[in-house]
Amino acid sequence: MAAPCAEMEPAAPPASAPAAPAAAPGSAGLVCAQGRNLRAVLCQRCGSRVLLPGAATFARRELLLPAMRKKAAAAAAGGGGDVLREHWLVRDMFSFENVGFTRDVGNVKFLVCADCEAGPIGWHCLDDKDSFYVALERVAHE
Amino acid sequence: MEPGSGLPQRRAGGGGLDLGAGSAAGSPALSGGQSRRRKQPPRPADFKLQVIIIGSRGVGKTSLMERFTDDTFCEACKSTVGVDFKIKTVELRGKKIRLQIWDTAGQERFNSITSAYYRSAKGIILVYDITKKETFDDLPKWMKMIDKYASEDAELLLVGNKLDCEVDREISRQQGEKFAQQITGMRFCEASAKDNFNVDEIFLKLVDDILKKMPLDVIRNELSNSILSLQPEPEIPPELPPPRPHVRCC
Repeated sequence: MAAPCAEMEPAAPPASAPAAPAAAPGSAGLVCAQGRNLRAVLCQRCGSRVLLPGAATFARRELLLPAMRKKAAAAAAGGGGDVLREHWLVRDMFSFENVGFTRDVGNVKFLVCADCEAGPIGWHCLDDKDSFYVALERVAHE
Repeated sequence: MEPGSGLPQRRAGGGGLDLGAGSAAGSPALSGGQSRRRKQPPRPADFKLQVIIIGSRGVGKTSLMERFTDDTFCEACKSTVGVDFKIKTVELRGKKIRLQIWDTAGQERFNSITSAYYRSAKGIILVYDITKKETFDDLPKWMKMIDKYASEDAELLLVGNKLDCEVDREISRQQGEKFAQQITGMRFCEASAKDNFNVDEIFLKLVDDILKKMPLDVIRNELSNSILSLQPEPEIPPELPPPRPHVRCC
């Protein structure tokens, strides 16, 4: 349960590289024919269950999420964030099994693990109260 | 948990196999371990409840909300932004319950926690620190806020936190019990968020009390994506006329 997916640990290609449109490596094998998540979405770190299978739909959108690890190197590089393109889109906040919401950053709330607060794993804009994004790259899949 | 109150196998939604989960809608159920895979949208929660955690500064409210911490992760997120609320799922008496848990840390001045938090809360966890008498002495003030703003049927749970600091204890267990006894329906327990002692139990106990009171079906779908409506209102001083009589407080 707590087993993280080693392969999910991104070898972080620089965010500047545009995602290949068709051959999306991140989502391969994770999306069902209806566009929903085939597998449960878990926290990479503690295995906390974020979404059950089928609770979200696959969506592409460029979103900037602050880096998960506060690496000195990353900070020095001045970035501190990644542009992520592949997400699980959730329409109802109560579709989440477990998730945390940060306080507002501008008109955005970031999503974090409800148990260990690893994150940000996702993004929510207060202007669109029916959209909650969870970045594929920031979570594990069961 | 409660005598005769329904083991998980009871047909909550259609003959579950594993812990209270199986419903006709076909949910893989349960946050625990299972690995069935379905393509249909999972079974929606049976109940959605809002719980708030209040108490004076430093009593450990936030710690009650998190299980453990690790400072290598998202320090920025933690200390500067902070978690506003959490959605957590528990299964109890064959029901799947989603809790929306609000931590009011950082707004401890009594007046700055706005009525919006209280109003929609079905459960209120009032925390003090067993090693700090002043946090216990503050309890009547918190009760005034509860009396003023909270729904009359909100379940109340008093928690004496920091049980791991027994040597520094200033408030005896009996004192806590006695305080809770004076208030109709208030439960009491001691806990240690640091050791995670009694923490999960706190939430389960509270949820159980709420469910026992609820006529089933009432609260389903009561809450929507209600972040906005639950945002702290801009500093409204709590001078609204009390919406309810003082039934609880001493």
